[in-house]
Amino acid sequence: MTTDTLHPLAADYLERLRRAGRGLPAGRRRELLVEIEGHLSEAIEPGASDAQALTVLDRLGEPEAIIAAEMPPADVAPERRGVAEWAAIILLPFGGFIFGIGWLAGLVLLWSSRAWTTRDKWIGTLVIPGGLLTAFAALLALGHPTKKLCTGFPGRIPHCTNAPGPSAGADAVGIAVFVVLVLAPIASAIYLARRAGRLRLP
Amino acid sequence: MAPSIRETAISQLRRGVLEFCVLALLRDGERYSYELVRALGDANGLVTTEGTLYPMLGRLRRDGVVDTTWRESPSGPPRRYYRLTPDGQSVLDGFVIEWTRFRDSVDALLGNGVLK
Repeated sequence: MTTDTLHPLAADYLERLRRAGRGLPAGRRRELLVEIEGHLSEAIEPGASDAQALTVLDRLGEPEAIIAAEMPPADVAPERRGVAEWAAIILLPFGGFIFGIGWLAGLVLLWSSRAWTTRDKWIGTLVIPGGLLTAFAALLALGHPTKKLCTGFPGRIPHCTNAPGPSAGADAVGIAVFVVLVLAPIASAIYLARRAGRLRLP
Repeated sequence: MAPSIRETAISQLRRGVLEFCVLALLRDGERYSYELVRALGDANGLVTTEGTLYPMLGRLRRDGVVDTTWRESPSGPPRRYYRLTPDGQSVLDGFVIEWTRFRDSVDALLGNGVLK
């Protein structure tokens, strides 16, 4: 980056902007930072005095004001909105253990929220149906390799086999599937939390 | 309180016209963000904080009235060039007609003598 050729005051300003913009979607934040870095590098000539740099920064305004202008105005009180979103984020991975219905409750909360885009909601729904219960179910099934992997659980299991007997290859595949089934719902929950974070949830 | 009513009105007026001023600046061809912000910032009384123009440029792009392209700059970070879309052109044409009517009416009522 060219940040090291910036005036030190301009570099400080950019760093404040970067921190203030944590709630923005990552792509939009990056664009904004590049555009404002361009502004700073053109408006402040190399070797400019502190006073000249401060004049440029004054005209730009506070970093927080720029980020505030970027945020969509919240139409519902954010603290009331936050509870349902956090419940969805927790219920999707873990709710399956509450007789299976916890995951469904999370799904309802996910789709009724306005904090996420439709694409986010599909990611939350499909990765992974049943949440960690599905991984748990897979683990039980793997423990009894003569049984079918798919039987007896409400959550769908993407990898179904009629394993005729244990083999080293099948075990390795089984372990890989299990690891994916554990990590995917957690990654999905973290993703949803971050996406909702741009609306400044608590 | 009179001063705050006046300030609110002025800032709403500014906000209302700024987006169209950006479109007008792009009428003769593309410009990159710093050029746009500088031109608006140099216009007397139009902009108080130049930084908030960048979020506004982003909104214009999402609204489909401008298109953008990133290009390398001879010095510093890449530049984002903005140009009018056909939609933006017709929005601007409509505004020019409305604005002229609006300005003439207000001037006449204020007694500035534009309409004798």
